[in-house]
Amino acid sequence: MKHQLKVEVKNQSVAVERFLRVVRHRGFSLLQLQLEVVDDKYFVNMTVDSDRPIHLLTLQLAKLIDVHQVELAEQHHQQAI
Amino acid sequence: MTGAELLIELLAKHGVKDVFGYPGGAIMPIYDALYGAPVKHYLTRHEQAAGFSAIGYTRSTGKLGVCFATSGPGATNLVTAIADAMMDSIPLLAITGQVPTAAIGSDAFQEVDVLGISLAITKHSYLVERAEDLAEILQEAIHVATSGRPGPVLVDIPKDIQLAQVSFKPWLAADDYQPEVNLNEVAKANELLKEAKMPVAYVGGGVHAADAQKKLMAFLNETSMPAVSTLKALGSVLPDYEYDLGMLGMHGGQAANLAVQKCDLLVCIGARFDDRVTGNLSKFASNAKIIHLDIDAAEVGKRKPAEASLIADLHDSLPLLAHPQTDGSWLTHMKSMMVKHAWRYDYPGEKVFAPYLLNKLSQTMPSNGVVCCDVGQHQMWVAQHMKFNSPRNHLSSGGAGTMGFGLPAAIGVQVARPDDFVITVSGDGSIMMNIQELATIRRNNLPVKILVIDNQRLGMVRQWQQMFFEERYSETILSDNPDFVALAAVFGIKGQTITKASEVDDAIQALVDSKGPYILHACIDEQENVWPLVPPGAANDQMVTEVK
Repeated sequence: MKHQLKVEVKNQSVAVERFLRVVRHRGFSLLQLQLEVVDDKYFVNMTVDSDRPIHLLTLQLAKLIDVHQVELAEQHHQQAI
Repeated sequence: MTGAELLIELLAKHGVKDVFGYPGGAIMPIYDALYGAPVKHYLTRHEQAAGFSAIGYTRSTGKLGVCFATSGPGATNLVTAIADAMMDSIPLLAITGQVPTAAIGSDAFQEVDVLGISLAITKHSYLVERAEDLAEILQEAIHVATSGRPGPVLVDIPKDIQLAQVSFKPWLAADDYQPEVNLNEVAKANELLKEAKMPVAYVGGGVHAADAQKKLMAFLNETSMPAVSTLKALGSVLPDYEYDLGMLGMHGGQAANLAVQKCDLLVCIGARFDDRVTGNLSKFASNAKIIHLDIDAAEVGKRKPAEASLIADLHDSLPLLAHPQTDGSWLTHMKSMMVKHAWRYDYPGEKVFAPYLLNKLSQTMPSNGVVCCDVGQHQMWVAQHMKFNSPRNHLSSGGAGTMGFGLPAAIGVQVARPDDFVITVSGDGSIMMNIQELATIRRNNLPVKILVIDNQRLGMVRQWQQMFFEERYSETILSDNPDFVALAAVFGIKGQTITKASEVDDAIQALVDSKGPYILHACIDEQENVWPLVPPGAANDQMVTEVK
């Protein structure tokens, strides 16, 4: 199933590496990725695809120290951390 | 002060008295700052061992474990130990030297992208790019390693930043995201507890991480709920608890596995439904509703959905659980299962029987002694046949299952707890993985005890080859092992070899009574297997107890 995610991360390239690694490792394919810098933060919009439930990814992303917020677009589900 | 001096001063400020490591070119300023410093450095003979010693240090005390390595191969040698700490949620701080900032990315001598390597094996990691950030990064690193669900943190410090003039800046942790217990979930959990006729507590390593043994025992003593433990939880349930069923899972006890398979409520306390615990997940505790207590929201529903989840520190969540008394008929059934499936030590042969040997060690060694295991058959025998009164006294590489863990971990424990009895229980395969650490024992005159259970095989792999690979013993025969007692003697360590059951009692007593380091080399039957075993893909009530 495809899901759209909005992720706000620390403005460091390693932060992007870190969360993209989690996307792959937790079994999600990356279909689309957009990244922009606003007010010293990275905002990432991405579409992922997997047979696995999306919470298996969002909860892992939310744990990352560099990740400030994970928002699941189509369900308007937000996890502030 | 220099960046290197700041590191050492900051560690001292955080109460770090001992660190483990190995010097090299890119970390020389830090080793220079260590010279005469109040932080004592223990030189191991391989960086991996420095990592495991730091893990032993923290797991046996709750204090932060710290290890140092230089750039390139020094840092890559740390990788296995850091990954081990990640899998077992251990607060480890790894400091690596890096080539100077200007040389990063130039393929300089001993340059490796350590930050890149660290991404998959740390809770978090840093490359210090500016000297003025060093103090803040180090303080944040310690905070991240030790807060929430603990884990390893790596800080990679270029040599020029170690040499740069810096000033100390106090760093205050931002208000951490602390999950608050959801009271609706508490109400649901307590309703489930009151309805349950056949509950079981499934205790995991989270109890150790949260230092919540007292609160666990308060809950168990109030409810009399039967308890099963994961490998990492062993010692959390006190050995005199009437309904302690021991370890569950692939090599768990029959009473433990059967209780979980039959129960109608499973109270998961700081565990994560690991595949070695559950066997066939779809058939695991399939009659049970589940209450899951964990500090990490990502563990709830990861492998098994829960009817009620309390996502918080166990100190906060455990006292919120209701304490209904467990149904008497269920407890009577548990008692009968414990008697029916009790371990037997009346082995008929003349050879050393490892379960008896370990049970004897358990009875003979001081009650606050620490056992550091390696990985394989001996590890499972320790879990089955020894008793521990604290999870700090049983250290085993759980998630990663790293051979070579035991000896350096025991060194770290002995440094942290110099007056306690510390022993590594190893196999003839595992002991060779970090055998160079005998030199660290000698260098520091540490009274670490070593028990090598020798079947001249990589025993666990051999057992699987026997059971599942048509007895094709590919690369598991170690009949060319060295003479372990002679090898230890080269490092000034005394010991003896035993081959007969009749020698076990005296040999264990001699081991326990020895004042300095000591090795007991126990030769067992090469065909001995670990029972019971849940075959891959099977449910936990389909335990095998012999080769068919």
